[in-house]
Amino acid sequence: MSRDPGASAERTRLAWRRTGLSATAVALLATRPAFAPGAGTWTFLAAGAAMALWAGLIGLAYRRARGLNALPPQPGRLTVTTYAALTIGLAVLGGALVML
Amino acid sequence: MAGEKPDYRFSLANERTFLAWIRTALALLAGGLACAQFLPPLPIPHLREGIAVALLLLGGVVALRAVDHWARTERAMRLGTDLPKSRFPAVLALIVALGALLLVVAVLIKAFS
Repeated sequence: MSRDPGASAERTRLAWRRTGLSATAVALLATRPAFAPGAGTWTFLAAGAAMALWAGLIGLAYRRARGLNALPPQPGRLTVTTYAALTIGLAVLGGALVML
Repeated sequence: MAGEKPDYRFSLANERTFLAWIRTALALLAGGLACAQFLPPLPIPHLREGIAVALLLLGGVVALRAVDHWARTERAMRLGTDLPKSRFPAVLALIVALGALLLVVAVLIKAFS
């Protein structure tokens, strides 16, 4: 396979990285209440869940970034679906945190 | 999946579009959490929490539609049909503009009262 002049794989890898950084910002905001004085058990549990979701998002992005080295890089149907599901999970968790 | 495998560069472009939408969703989530944590209590009870939950809900919907649109685009490329049309970006823009307008009104009322 010839070299891709548009560097599609490279740009896609950078897009995954950017998305990981955005996810990190959300995860940090979700764990912040756990560091406030007088944080309750549920706040700690929510922080743990946020860290788990964040680890999932970063892990998937890492795996996909490696998969992009292959030629042709296959679209990761499972990766994309799971990534969206984890993001929705963060939304639900955020809602629970606000309601606490 | 049905149909023929499209040029992988188009698949990757579709993937990047998906990621851009996910970042939009994550930005809405961050905005919702920031509202809940950094806004002072507002004059209307539970308004702060309401704004936060609305932003979080919107973020969840954006993520859901991101994966749906990705799958439909992938399918259309494989089958060689037209790419799916969507009103969602316009609707989202209108919702955000309306929210911004409401905030401007709130700030003005507070400034002149």
